[in-house]
Formats: sequence, structure tokens, C-alpha cells
Amino acid sequence: MGHYFRPTTIKEALSLASDWPGNYKYFGGGTDLQIYRKQKLLNNEAIIDLSELDDTCSIKADENSMKLGAFVTLDEITTSSDIQTHFPLLAEAAASVATPVIRKTATMGGNLLVNNRCTLYNQSKEWRDAVGSCLREVGNICLVTGGKDKCFSRNVSDTAPALIALNAVVIIHSQDGKKEIPLQDIYARDGIKFHDHLDEDAIVSEIRVPTKPASWWFKKLRLRKTLDFTSLTVAATVDSAGIARVCLNGVSMSPVLIEESLKKLTVETVIKKARKNCKTVDNDLMPLKYRREMINVYLNEWWKSK
Amino acid sequence: MSGPIGKPTPYIDGVQKVTGKAMYTDDYRFPNMLYVGLLRSPHAHAHIKHIDTSAAETYPGVAAVTVGTDLPISFGILPISSDENAMAVEKVRYVGEIVAAVAAETMEAAQKGAEKIIVEYDPVRAFIDPGDSLEVCDPAEQIHSHTKGGKNIHKTAELRFNEPEKALEQSPFKRTESFKFAGVTHAFTEPHSTIAIWNGDETLTVISATQVPHYLHRNLSKVLELPMHRVQVKKPALGGGFGGKSDPFAHEMITAYLSMITKRPVKCTFSREEVFINNHGRHPTTIDMSVGCDQDGIITALDTDTIIDGGAYGSFGVVTSYYNGVLLQGPYKIDKLGFRTRRAYTNKSQCGAMRGHGAVNPRYAMEVILDMLAHDAGIDPCDLREKNFLEENTVTVGQLRITSNGVRDCLQAVREKSDWDKLYGKQPYGRGLGIGCGFYISGSALPIIWNRYPQTVVHAKLDFDGRIVMFSGASDIGQGSDTMLAQIASEELGVPMNYVQLEVADTKTTPVDLGSYSSRVTFMVGNAAKMAAEKLRNEMAKAIAKEKDVSADDIVFRDNKIFTEDGAVDISWEDGVETALAGRGAIVESGYYFSPKMGGDFKGSGAGLSPAYSFGAFISDVTVNPSTGSVKVEKIWAAHDCGKALNPLAVEGQIEGSIHMGLGQAVSEDMRYVNGQIVNANFFDYRIPYSVDTPDMDVTIIESNDSEGPYGAKEAGEGPIHPVLPSIGNAIYDAVGIRMMELPITPDKVLAKIQEKG
Repeated sequence: MGHYFRPTTIKEALSLASDWPGNYKYFGGGTDLQIYRKQKLLNNEAIIDLSELDDTCSIKADENSMKLGAFVTLDEITTSSDIQTHFPLLAEAAASVATPVIRKTATMGGNLLVNNRCTLYNQSKEWRDAVGSCLREVGNICLVTGGKDKCFSRNVSDTAPALIALNAVVIIHSQDGKKEIPLQDIYARDGIKFHDHLDEDAIVSEIRVPTKPASWWFKKLRLRKTLDFTSLTVAATVDSAGIARVCLNGVSMSPVLIEESLKKLTVETVIKKARKNCKTVDNDLMPLKYRREMINVYLNEWWKSK
Repeated sequence: MSGPIGKPTPYIDGVQKVTGKAMYTDDYRFPNMLYVGLLRSPHAHAHIKHIDTSAAETYPGVAAVTVGTDLPISFGILPISSDENAMAVEKVRYVGEIVAAVAAETMEAAQKGAEKIIVEYDPVRAFIDPGDSLEVCDPAEQIHSHTKGGKNIHKTAELRFNEPEKALEQSPFKRTESFKFAGVTHAFTEPHSTIAIWNGDETLTVISATQVPHYLHRNLSKVLELPMHRVQVKKPALGGGFGGKSDPFAHEMITAYLSMITKRPVKCTFSREEVFINNHGRHPTTIDMSVGCDQDGIITALDTDTIIDGGAYGSFGVVTSYYNGVLLQGPYKIDKLGFRTRRAYTNKSQCGAMRGHGAVNPRYAMEVILDMLAHDAGIDPCDLREKNFLEENTVTVGQLRITSNGVRDCLQAVREKSDWDKLYGKQPYGRGLGIGCGFYISGSALPIIWNRYPQTVVHAKLDFDGRIVMFSGASDIGQGSDTMLAQIASEELGVPMNYVQLEVADTKTTPVDLGSYSSRVTFMVGNAAKMAAEKLRNEMAKAIAKEKDVSADDIVFRDNKIFTEDGAVDISWEDGVETALAGRGAIVESGYYFSPKMGGDFKGSGAGLSPAYSFGAFISDVTVNPSTGSVKVEKIWAAHDCGKALNPLAVEGQIEGSIHMGLGQAVSEDMRYVNGQIVNANFFDYRIPYSVDTPDMDVTIIESNDSEGPYGAKEAGEGPIHPVLPSIGNAIYDAVGIRMMELPITPDKVLAKIQEKG
């Protein structure tokens, strides 16, 4: 039997978490995690649904800055005229996630914390049992690479690269209190422990973007025009001082950020840095060679568009 | 036509379905019903050393446990390859094959109970690549002991007419090309579901999501050793089949058996993953094809060598093997033709029949090569096709009898509508048009199991209440056969559609129909229904003529009235019913359909025989992004000759559905395997095009009025898929000058070809 909780304050949520140590999972919309439960990749008995938390469902965006509650739905992001007007990069990134129906339920915070994926891990229990080994679950050999010590599962959030390119920070609550850290710092370059600076009970409550960029660019690679998780997402901004922030996702264990003054950059150096920092392996339905090639194609396109 | 025939007619079950009221198999619940839990093999190929069911038997809620040796009699859709068992006996042959089953009080107990069964396996070499199956192997590694020559070849189908290889050598233009097609699956909405009820009178009722109640009836009887008169199969509302519900299935045998031994109703509904594991989809295929033509573009010969990956069991595979060759005999006249198809057994779930059965992949190869020959010979691809079309009322080299044939009109329609003559070969780099044609059987002329009965019988019953009940075994799987039955009765008897009610797809109450496969229902059931309704009308007319002293031939049934033009008779339908039934009571009349005798007298001559053939020509308009390789199909113009559209709404729907399904196989769908295990067994990773991926469609219905079809009708459910794929492939060539020889045409393959071309 499972237990379902719907706290209305962060304090209450943290207290529930302490009641179920190691045996609970926070939910935003649950659109990702419910599949993990169905496939028996998650076996926690308690669900703590955070979608009713006070003060986490508002959108404030103007020409200077943006403040988002973590439990705003992706649909609210894509349809907000303030976001469309002042931060269209985020509106476009959110609109590229899943389908219209899923976006009605899926949340901003949930998409930032979406679990890393791998073709050979995101399968039913019977499937995984038949295949045998996986570093991330049971076993000691990675089925994708044949390696024994590193998992390269992919971060597939589309909004994360957009918000990282926008220089976002997140507000995090845990038993240890409240802190504010740059969004990119919550991701770790590890396919199994893919989050960093997040205590087990941490709740991301808010996302803040300090300034509006001078220009932006966004593109997502997928086979169909809807539903598919990303095979490569590139979000890029250039600020008024000419600093470019280019963030790639879907091609490594965490979003990969390249931040540099345009004066020092050439398209070759951006591509070289991206290819070096992305640990791309054959764990997506799109072929590896093609995904790597598309990094070059997308970055070239961005470079030309500036 | 004064009634609904030929008029756009909404499906009679449409509102029920879209409002969620229609009852599908899984919607039925019975008191004391048990649920089935299945234990599936984790090995692709292994001997079963031992099964211990003791922990399952004592698991709370479990009512019965069964294993393969309980049901040792094999079954299969084709009597010549009945190579399946309800559960694996001695050996498992693919990952996911059912090894044991339990029936339990709840779904959870059933699943947990099944997990308690312990099986010891002894794995042997698994054959994943069909190429390996063509080689001689260690007898201990043979997938089935019955295959010949120590190889894992299920079937070799081969026919040769008039030495095509010689003609190819002498052809001024010749192309020999290799093609590769991934397996695809039906992806219907409703998962497989079955309920079995062991009745108090020791009879068995099986309610199942099936396209073939009749063949399920026969196979249940065989496997369960129950006489046929004690087995009833009913098909309720069904959510899509496309060939994926046209085999008798293991879970149907298991569910029925568990009901027999527990004497309780038992239900089994698949998860989506189980539907993918069950597969029976289109065979992964490799084709080496040679086609030649002369200076004028006239086809000289065709020769093809094909390997199809059948998976672990036979299914429809023997038919598929022949169809890969014999269905290349149209829509072009080819007098020198040869083919060989080898169907390999592999350790994957079996492939079978899927929309356009056996002919979709070779059609792609043929149409692409014709395009290449057209360019080689400097002839417009549409012109080259027109030069080669079969005429109507002709016979092909393999003795297929062609009657009505509207292919020229089809080509002309799409050629004009797409502005082909102005645009082909003249658009900027990245944009292109492509043509593809096709033809398909309108019902297999031969039944699967030889017998002396008609292929279908329909009863029409009239009683005092004035309603007409049509009894037919035809299985409406969403294609609209129920609506067609009502339309025909309404047309013939001149009453509104709501006077006609149906009893369908129930092997106890309805006469035999062989099933919804090979696009046979409109042609065969339509003819039988028309005959039954005509006979009923004649019976009524006779009685009314006698009472009113007029000639029966002068009596007209129209607009809910029965009258003669001279006014001597002018009565309501209800009065006519009273007159007709006076002194005798209810009338039941029967109609039936037999295919005419046809075909050659060589081995394999029965494959591809049909009382009529549909034809089509489609043109696709695509955009290719040369830097990413992505292909966008902008628009498809489709023209299909269905003889006569009994229900233009349904025909249009079938053509649009075919475009969508063909598009999926062309650009995004494939069954992916890792070590023989399906990697994308869900609707997330198995990438069916969405509405936003689907192009504009322009549908033209061509009516060639077939002399033997009901009101002139032929099929429209499968033929329209064939031209879709090659029209896309050929449009990509027009756009960027590359030939796509491997499906699905994903961006990575397009980009690689563009780079290769430089």
C-alpha cells in the first residue's frame, strides 16, 4: 500500500519527509515519476505531492527580471504573456517539452529535476531482469559502454539549459534552512548521482532570473515535433556586455555550459569546448554519431544567427 | 441509389465510441471473475529444465496455475505452420514468451503469484540476425526441429516465369539495388484482451479482441480438445487491429483453459509492453531487386531475392513469403518475373500480417527502382508508369485475374492536382515531389483452411416489429463493416438505417465469416448481405404482389414505403411487413459469397488470387533540411480506386489512416532490439507520427465500378498504404538527389547520404 500526502507549507513537507526517511518521493506533477513507479524503478511507499505548496505557483516577469514559483505548470509558462514578451526563450523551451496535455500537469521545478535517462535503464522490471546488468541499478557493467565505473545517463530537461543560459538561480529549502544557488550548480556530472548541492529532502521552491538577455537562441533535436525527450537541446543568450552563455543538454550527464565573452570566442572554439565537455554515449534512440554531428550543426546555426 | 449506399454515412457505432459508452472486451466484468498473471521468459533461446509452481499455488488469492505441458497441442493461424503452444513446452524461443500462468482473485495477486513460479533454464545460442538463420547450425541449436537442412529457414517461396534473368541481361536499362526495412508493428489503441467463461452447460464462451472469431473458434477447439459445438467466440467493440489481432493467440488459449479448470470467468488484458512483445507485425526485410526496361521505358523483367525475419513462430509467414513476390505482378505489366523469399526463424517475437500484408516493402523497392529507371532512360516517372500499367480485364503472368482497374485515372488525378508537370525536377534544392503507385487484393480468393463452405454467409431476418436484423460473422474492427451491413439492408429494403439492427461476430448466433483480413469484408460480406436483403425483399414483394394482384417485379421499396409506379400499390413499410408475414410469421433469408474459380495450376498459384484488385497512385511533397537531414512531408495527394465507395466517409478515413500509418513506417517507426529484446515497447519510444507530424492530405476516390463487387465496390483498407512510402522516398530524391534504401528514413540516414553525395 502507498501513502499520499499533499502538504500546503514547506515546513510541513520537510516534516513529512523526515517521517519517511529513504522511503518517499516528492512530486511536482508526477508526469515523469509515475512512469518510474510503474516500471518499478522507484519503490518508495510515500508520495509527497508539492503542487499545493503556498506561494510556489506564481509568475512574475517584466523587462528587468523574472521570478517563478517552482510549481507553476509548463503550460502556464508557455502561455504567460509576460514570459512570452520578456523571456521568450523560456516560453519556447517549456513549449518544447512533452505534449500540451502533459504540460498541463508537469511543473517547472519538476522539469528542472527530471531524472536522467538511458535507453537501457528506462525499461520495465522484467526487461531489466532479462538484460541483467546496469551500473545504475543492479550489476557492475554499463550495458551501453561496457565500462565498469561510470554511468553516462542523460539529463533531458529542456528548461534547464534555457534557464542556465538566462543565468537563473534557484531557492532551495531543506531541514538545514534556505539557500540560493546558481541553477547549473544543482547538476552533477554523474549519471547515477546527477544532482549536487541538494540534500535528500531539498525542495526547490523558486527560480529567479536577474536580467534580460540582449539576444537568445533555442533549438531542440527530436524525431517528432512533439512528445519526444530531447536528443540535443541548445539554449544560448548574449547579454548587454557581450557575454555569451551557451548551454547544451540531452548529450551528457548534466547540462553543459559555455560562458565566454564573444570577443574571445570563435565558432570553432565553442564547438571544441562543447564536444570536449559533453560525454555523449550511445544511450538514446537517435544514433550517437548523428547527435554528435548535430552539436556542430546547432552551434554553427546559433553562431550565424547572432 | 436511393438509399444510403454511396452517401457519406457516419458509423453507426461512432457516437458510442467517442462518448466512451462502447463496450470493449476489457470493459466487461463478471461475478467471481479471476485475472490472469503471466510469467514470461527472460531468455531468447533456452531449454526449460524444471518448473516449480509450488510457491505460486499457495500464494494468497491464486486459484489455479498452469504450465506448457498442460496444453501440449500446438496451434497457429495456418494449418501448415501450427508451431505455437499456449505456453512454452520444453523450450523458450524469444524473450517474453509465456512460460506459465496463474489465475487469481485480483490482478495484483495474479502478477505476484506468477512471479513466485521458479523456472530453471539452460540457454542455447540465440539467433537474432536472420542472416545467421540461413546457415547450417548445430542441431541442438535449431530453433524448431522441423526445419530442413539443419538451417533455421521456415519457408522458401519461389516462382519464376519466362526466365527474367535472361531478359535482364539484355535490357538497355537495368537496376539492381538492395533495400533494408526495419520491422514495424500495428500500434492499435486497444490492447489485447480476452475473457473466458465456462458455462453451466459445459460450453465455453470466449469474448476477445480478435479480427478472426472463426479461426479462434477452431484453434480453441483444437488446443482445448473441446468439440466445436461447445465453443463460442464473441467479438465486442474493438479498438483497431491492422492485422495484429488476426492470429489466434496464446493468451486466449491460456485464459480459456484457466476458466475450464476453475469453472469461473477469467480475464486477461495485456499491458502496452506485452502488446509490443506479442508483435505479429510487419517482418524486418532485406530485398535485392533487379528491374530492367527498354529505351521506351517498357519494363522488361523483374527479379527479386528477399529475406524476411519471421521471429520464433510461423503466424501468417508462409503467406507473407509468397506475397512479397506475387504482389509485384501489378499495377504494371511484367511478363518476365521471378522471386525468391526466404522466411527465417529467429529468437524474437513472431512477425505476421500487417496492413498491406507482405507487399508494402517490395512495393517500396519496386517504385524506387522504377523512379531510377525513369531517370536513366530520360523519361518522366509518371510517364514511365503510365506506359506500363496493366489494362483492365486482363491476366498477369502468374494468372492473377485483373477485372476493373482505375489506376490510370488515379495517376492522372494526382498528377494534375499536385501540378506535377510544372514542378517535378524544377523546384529549388530541398523541395521535391515523388510518385508511388500500388495495387492490392480485395479479399483472398482462397480460405485459410480448405473447405466446401462459402467464404461468408449473412442472414437477414424480418419480424412483426418491422425491424430487419442482419446476422453476420463479420468483425468490425473500426473499418466500418457494421455500418456497411446496415447501409446495404437499408438500401435494398428502402427503410431508414435505424430500422436495421445487427447481430455480429458471435460464432454461436451468427453464420461463419472468415474474418477481417486480406481486405475481404466489403467485397465478400457486402455481396452476401446484398443477396440476403434482396431475397428478403423478393419474399415480401411476392406476398404483396399476390395480395394486391400486381407483378412482384413492379414493386418498389423506397423512402420507407412500398409502391408501384402506377399507384396500384402504395403502402407503408409496416403494412408491407404485415402482409409479407401473414400466415407464416418471421422471414429469414440467407445470402452467401463464393469466390469464382481462378488461378494457375502450379504450386503457389493460390497466393495473391483475389476476385478483384484495388489500385492507387499517390504523390508526396517533401522538404528536406540538408544541414540536419530532417524530412518534412508537406502534403500527400492520394487517389485510390475502390470500385465504388459504399460509404465515402469510411473510404476517405481508410485512405487518411493509410497515409498516417505509411508515413510512420517511412520516417519514424521501427521495432528496435538489443540482444533480441525490444527496446522501445511503448508509445513513447515507438515513434508514431503525431498530428503535428502529419501532412495535409488531398484524397481523391476513383470509382471503376467492379462487375463483381457489391454495387461495384472493392477494398479501401489496405491498398492505400502501398503508394505512401515510395512516394515519400522518391520525393526525397527530387528534393536533394539521394536514394533512400533503408527504412525508416530518419534524419541521420538522410544526412549521411547527403554527405556521401557531397
